[in-house]
Amino acid sequence: MKHLKPLNAKADLMEAASNPEARAEVVAMQSVVGCASTTDPGWEVDAFGGVAGLCQPMESDLYGCADPCWWPAQVPDLMNTHPDWDQNAPSAGQDWRKLDAVFPKARD
Amino acid sequence: MRTYRNLILRAGFAGLALLPVLLGGCAKAPRDYMAITNRPNQVSLIDLEDRKIVRTCPLPGRFGAGTLQMSPDKRTAYVLTNHFENIYGVDLDTCKITFSAIQSQGNTRIKTIAAFAVSADGAELYVHQNPSLLLRDRYEVQEPRMAVYRIADGLEAKPVRSFPAPRQVNLMQTDAKGTLYLAGRDIYTMDVNTGAYSVKLESQSRVEPRYSQRDVLSVWPLGQQSGEFIRMYTAQRFADETKQPETAELVWGYERIDLATGEASTRDFGPLNVVLFSGMTRPHHPNEMFGALSQLQKFDVEKQQLVKSVDLEHSYYCVNFSSDGSKVYLAGTYNDIAIYDAETLEKLGNIQLPGGDMSLATAQVFPRVL
Repeated sequence: MKHLKPLNAKADLMEAASNPEARAEVVAMQSVVGCASTTDPGWEVDAFGGVAGLCQPMESDLYGCADPCWWPAQVPDLMNTHPDWDQNAPSAGQDWRKLDAVFPKARD
Repeated sequence: MRTYRNLILRAGFAGLALLPVLLGGCAKAPRDYMAITNRPNQVSLIDLEDRKIVRTCPLPGRFGAGTLQMSPDKRTAYVLTNHFENIYGVDLDTCKITFSAIQSQGNTRIKTIAAFAVSADGAELYVHQNPSLLLRDRYEVQEPRMAVYRIADGLEAKPVRSFPAPRQVNLMQTDAKGTLYLAGRDIYTMDVNTGAYSVKLESQSRVEPRYSQRDVLSVWPLGQQSGEFIRMYTAQRFADETKQPETAELVWGYERIDLATGEASTRDFGPLNVVLFSGMTRPHHPNEMFGALSQLQKFDVEKQQLVKSVDLEHSYYCVNFSSDGSKVYLAGTYNDIAIYDAETLEKLGNIQLPGGDMSLATAQVFPRVL
């Protein structure tokens, strides 16, 4: 790092982070700038290590997890990055075939 | 004879003429209604006695979260929508939008995670805001704040006051005296004029020698039907202070504010056997606690026992009750509301909403004369 100079504010922060004394306080987020703050395991396993405690059927829980960006690995982030994912699919139980996988947008 | 008959006829007509006056003099009894939102983005008023939709009002923007709070006169529904950003006031008698708070401005994106409340006099709206600054190369999380809107400002209202607020607030409610409660890591009260806040009821900061830290999930401002602001917690209860894992019991408990007196209370109410998302005490039966997700469960609070549990036809997030406490209403997830007998947990019926999923919507039940 000695021979590298930061070019923008983010790089400045990264450099500062390498010095523990200059490290900024980590603030608790509330699912407001993306979804990385949620660490629940997802639909694979419930709180008891089984599956009986999961929502039944999973489609009933699908928008409840996509709307607040609860499980971003399984469901696109409707709150921030994919607000139109549910367009023309008001009922997850009836319209799940219309809910496609999402991919990063191609850069121009 | 003819004169006598004429007299009877005249008296009859006079009686008929008086009928509207007599009927008008008899006040109609209030009956229970529910207000709830669902996809694509609409709010419905439901007559719970007839189990029929009275009307469905479209909302601007996109759906989410669907959190709903009623005005004190139960005529206007305030709904958090457009991906947790805007709050609209909708006159449920006319479907007219009478109030809007468009929170995000410029490159500041503001989300509210279900935490907003109406003042006891219906004049102000309190909104917990989570702002993020969207810069070209990064996002910056800003400090959360409490924004106070004047409802009389109508459409595109701007905050008239704003204060620093605790982080991670997911629920808010006002009591009869006008005190504002914020539920986050702990339950706080805030002075809505100065912004001064303090802990009313410890939750995650609570230190109990025989308990683990509490865990809470709640985005449903429920309980008004029982005069309470309530959320549930889960915790491990150990045999002694050494907290040996093999001695742990998993328990449900509640954190409760009495909305008439402002009194705070918290206690365990039963064993944790299944996951429940929302719960409240049954109106007029404070010793009976109900919760739901894939099961509907009823607990004896004093005995800390599960009284009854029934499997539901699908998961429902949101519990509420009729005013007399005889019926349980289950809402959220799909677009049907299930009705259960609060005494026996026998299923009584369903109400289908037009449109799609309710997802995280709040089902508010209230008595009203229409």
